[in-house]
Amino acid sequence: MAEGAETRVADDGLRRPWGTILAFLLPALTLYVALTAYPAVRTFWNSFHIVLPRREEFVGLANYVELAGDDIFWRAVSNTLVWACASPVIEVSIALLLALALYAKVPGARFFRVAWFTPVLMSYIVVGILWLWIYNYDWGPINVALRALGLDHLARPWLGDPDTALPALIFVASWMWVGFNMVVLLAALHSLPREVIEAAELDNCGWGGKLIFVILPLVSATLLNLVVLSFIGKMKIFDLVWITTKGNPLWSTETVSTYVYKRAFEWTTFDLGYPSTIAAVWFVIVLAAVLGLTRLFKLREKLEY
Amino acid sequence: MASLKRSILLLILCGYTAFAAGPFVWAAMLSLRTTTEIHLDHFALPDPIHWEKFPDAWFNSNYATYFLNSVQVVVAAVLIVTIVGAMAAHCLARYRFRFNRLIYFVLFSTIIFPPQITIISLFQVLVNYGLYNSKLGLTLVYVAIQLPLTVYILESFFARIPADLFDAARMDGYSDWEIFWRVALPVALPAVATTVILNFILLWNEFLFAVVLITEEANRTLPLGIQRFIGDTQEDIGMIATGLMIAIIPVVVIYAFFSEKLIQGMTAGAVK
Repeated sequence: MAEGAETRVADDGLRRPWGTILAFLLPALTLYVALTAYPAVRTFWNSFHIVLPRREEFVGLANYVELAGDDIFWRAVSNTLVWACASPVIEVSIALLLALALYAKVPGARFFRVAWFTPVLMSYIVVGILWLWIYNYDWGPINVALRALGLDHLARPWLGDPDTALPALIFVASWMWVGFNMVVLLAALHSLPREVIEAAELDNCGWGGKLIFVILPLVSATLLNLVVLSFIGKMKIFDLVWITTKGNPLWSTETVSTYVYKRAFEWTTFDLGYPSTIAAVWFVIVLAAVLGLTRLFKLREKLEY
Repeated sequence: MASLKRSILLLILCGYTAFAAGPFVWAAMLSLRTTTEIHLDHFALPDPIHWEKFPDAWFNSNYATYFLNSVQVVVAAVLIVTIVGAMAAHCLARYRFRFNRLIYFVLFSTIIFPPQITIISLFQVLVNYGLYNSKLGLTLVYVAIQLPLTVYILESFFARIPADLFDAARMDGYSDWEIFWRVALPVALPAVATTVILNFILLWNEFLFAVVLITEEANRTLPLGIQRFIGDTQEDIGMIATGLMIAIIPVVVIYAFFSEKLIQGMTAGAVK
């Protein structure tokens, strides 16, 4: 029945036990179909309708047309993309520096590694509230420190100012994720073959040369994985924005996720069709971006070797 | 010279540690001080230490309800997703059949889906089945959202178990189910433990699905409780900090015992 079966000796001399296979897979597949696949398809279906609590009406592409002219949506897209592009660069580069520092056999490396990883274990809710306080205009440590240094003119309500709100939130997310990236990179560094690095040392390669010509190429796959991972995470970001700014001030921190939530459950339009359209379009954009990124990186790998 | 360099490096690392951990130390201090004390000086040490704020938050601000709801939903979801996910992973790793890789790929690719693609329709589905605003509904959704990651981590581990082991078990007359339950699962225990801890933390912190699917006070999980609490009492910083610590403590305890396992779990798949 199945291809590939002929090429492989069956494990147990029995024919494919379809009953057993189905029994093992059925619970997972049922849950997947009912609570992931079906809802995803239904979202696409919704996107061509107006969906009110007691009434559904087919409207064709009307939602898509409206979306194309929706300034708030495009603002949210640009904010999210800025975030998704800035975060990986910040997180991965700082993480790389820290990982290299620990790789150079500093005393207490184990402690540092465990301590730096902590922020990522806290929920965005907890982290968001903490940073609401840290950014507080009157008594937040940042403004207090600025005033103590006589830089009063720099003190500001960081999350209340449309110019600084988005960078301030990007900073928080990076603060949270640097430790995670660092730990992954450190693991990659430790798995490097010692001989290669020793050979570079014998060739009188300096620290900088060793880093650029030996270490970086060897961990490039990990670096790229981390970039993609961070990118995906930021394309989804919701909790942190919701607990801190809710997209304010003046849409300056609005992300696609918060906008979908607002249109679906906060605005009094009660229509679930239009937010579904946003979700459907965003789904396609995220998928395309991730596929594009991985394709791009694969291509580069091929060129290098 | 070398030792000078070394101490500068160490200094930078300590500085970064203060930056990474400082906010939690500050929150811990705030959680043991009253709001009146905090307003006098936001950065003073807790003196005297107000331990009584914890029972106060627990009994008088509904944190007992939030905490127990979180425990119920998360423990049930982790239990189900571990068993269901392990069964599927074992099946995909051990049996060769048509569509095997297709099923694996479909499950796996769900990891990159933005949650919006399901959340609106999930709301409709749960309303239809009377599961909206119920802990059972939220539990099932949690199982569904953690299933792909669980299958992904476990499948790669199950696939590395040598087939000889299964053949030997079959010779001994084990049934397919017994082979899974009494051979594969015990051998894969380290990976199973990793997914259990990872799923627990991720779901303990989950907010988006909870905020959409739960509205009733009696069913709120901890993240929702905290959100409601800051909505009600913006100014009561001391009490909010106590609430934050109640949410953090289980995670910190788990981390203290299983930090290596947890780091492994979170980094699984990131290193290739």
